[in-house]
Parts: sequence; structure tokens; C-alpha cells
Amino acid sequence: MEATRTGTWLPVEAEGDTALDRVFGLTPAAYDAFREVDGALWDPARVDPAVVELCRLRIAQMIGCDAELAVRHDQARDAGLTEEKIDQLRQWPTSPRYSDTDRAVLNFAEKFVIDASSVDDDDCAALRAHLSDPEIAALTTAIALFDAMARFQVALGIGGA
Amino acid sequence: MMRISVPDGGMSFFDHQPELFGLFNQYYGTLWSEGVLDQATKEVGRLRNARVTGCNICKNLRFAGARDDGLTEDLVTGIADGYETGDLPERFKLVIRYADVLITDPKGVSDDLRAALLAEFTPEQIVELTATITAAMGFSKAAVAFGPPPDMPVLVVPTPTPDGSVSDPLPS
Repeated sequence: MEATRTGTWLPVEAEGDTALDRVFGLTPAAYDAFREVDGALWDPARVDPAVVELCRLRIAQMIGCDAELAVRHDQARDAGLTEEKIDQLRQWPTSPRYSDTDRAVLNFAEKFVIDASSVDDDDCAALRAHLSDPEIAALTTAIALFDAMARFQVALGIGGA
Repeated sequence: MMRISVPDGGMSFFDHQPELFGLFNQYYGTLWSEGVLDQATKEVGRLRNARVTGCNICKNLRFAGARDDGLTEDLVTGIADGYETGDLPERFKLVIRYADVLITDPKGVSDDLRAALLAEFTPEQIVELTATITAAMGFSKAAVAFGPPPDMPVLVVPTPTPDGSVSDPLPS
């Protein structure tokens, strides 16, 4: 099957600036609603955007979503996340650039993606040692959407051209 | 046992972030109620996800619109391992096959599977089906991660709508 300009195997695309615009834009009402909730994930009042960005990128690495790996959010950069730290994301368990909070969050995110039933009491206790329950609720919503959207993009071939 | 607290007056830990949860429900409800694909087809994908992810709550909920579209309990029984040789319509078998790939190995959408999807669905329907199954998966995983969801009887609930109705209630 011939790839279109986004790399997707779908034979038609919507108008838009990004590959996601052109594919998810085929269902405009749903895409608009998705962008609203996605935008709300990056509000620093909910949870540190740097931590949210680390989860998004780690999930993209795990699922192999190149389209997500190419994106950076200004809110995370404004919160202090550097490319040097992102470069060590695969080494988060041992890299000195990663804090105990980062490790608790990334451990949770990885288990969530691989097998959510493997999250145990110790994992949750580690999260609660560093984040409030409202922060965990926001972070979990973000992780759930990142997991979903990375799979969406990989399955539909977005960025795979 | 829930591992994260539920705020006073709330139904789940998501109620710590009511605005954010409302926006998630708006997204999920739009997929379900303002879509281009029949609800029975999406429900097959959602229920397959519930079985693969292990969410007892999602597994036992039935969205009313899908039932109205003809997804009977007899058909739901067929959304199980071994479905390939069962009596489900080929359209539903295709949805199960796609859901399994999305949830376990999204890079594994083969040329054969792509062709089958394009033969059965429009591109818009494929986008909606993909978004619905993956969103349901994220929600199911959240329910599973914070405490094994309890077993519950089969319950028919209203199909989610964009106005923020709670779709799959989480354990409280």
C-alpha cells in the first residue's frame, strides 16, 4: 500500500499542519475534544509538566512512536526539563539526572503500559511519597492518554513514512 | 482496595481532577455518541479491551446504544479467546483482531489486517475505532492499576455522551 504524506496507510487525509492533524482530523469532533483534554494535561497547576513530558517520551520510546518522540512541549521546557536529561531517559533507573520522584513516576508509567495489573502497593506508595493524590490523578490521566495516542499513531502508521 | 484516595463526594480518584476528568469524558463521549461508526462495532472493541486488560468493571458494563444496535449477550459471549472459530459476524471478528493488535503490539498491523480494515470500514470509521479502543484501554488500565476492580454483575448503562457523563465508573 502506498504511503501518504503522513506515512499512514489510510487512503485519505484531512487538512492540517501536522501528521496527527491530517489523520485524526478525519473525525474532527473527536479530534477537537482530544486536543482539549490533551492541552489541559500541561497545566502546571495540576502536576509538574516536566514529569508529564518524561512520561510521554518514555511511553513513546516503549511503543516505538517516532511521531511523539519528535515533539517537545514548551511547558516542560519552562519547568526545567533539558535535552540532556531527555537523552538519558532510557537510563532513568540509574542516571544521576533523575530524582526519586522521576523514578517513582517512570516506574509507574512503564508498568502501566506493559501490564497495569502489575502495579503494586509499593509502586503506589512510592508515588504517594512524592506526589499528592490530585497530582497522581492528573498524571494517570496523562499516562492513559499518552499510552492510547502512541498506539493510535503507531497502528495507523503516522510518522512512519 | 483502592490505592489512591477518593475525594469526599466523589466516585473515583479521578474526581481529584474534576475538570480534567470532565474533558476526558467529553472526548470519550464524543467518540461514542457523535461518531461515524455504529456503537455495536465499537462496543465489541471496548469489551475485547476489557478482557485483555483485565478490567472487571469495563468487562461487565454494556453501553445501551450498542445493545440497541443489536449487540446481544449471546454475541458478547463470543468475544473470548477462540473467537476466530465462533459464530460472531466476520466484522466483529475483525474488530477483535484489530483490538488485540492495538493493545499488545500496535506495530503489528499487517498488510493483511490493513486491507481487511479498509475493505470493511471507511478511513473515518477506522480512525474512530482506533481512538475508541485505545481510549477505553487507557481508562481500563487506570482502573486496574489502582486496585483490582471488583467483580460485578452485567450492567447496562447509558452510552457516554460529550456532556461529561461518567462512562465506566471506577471502584470507590
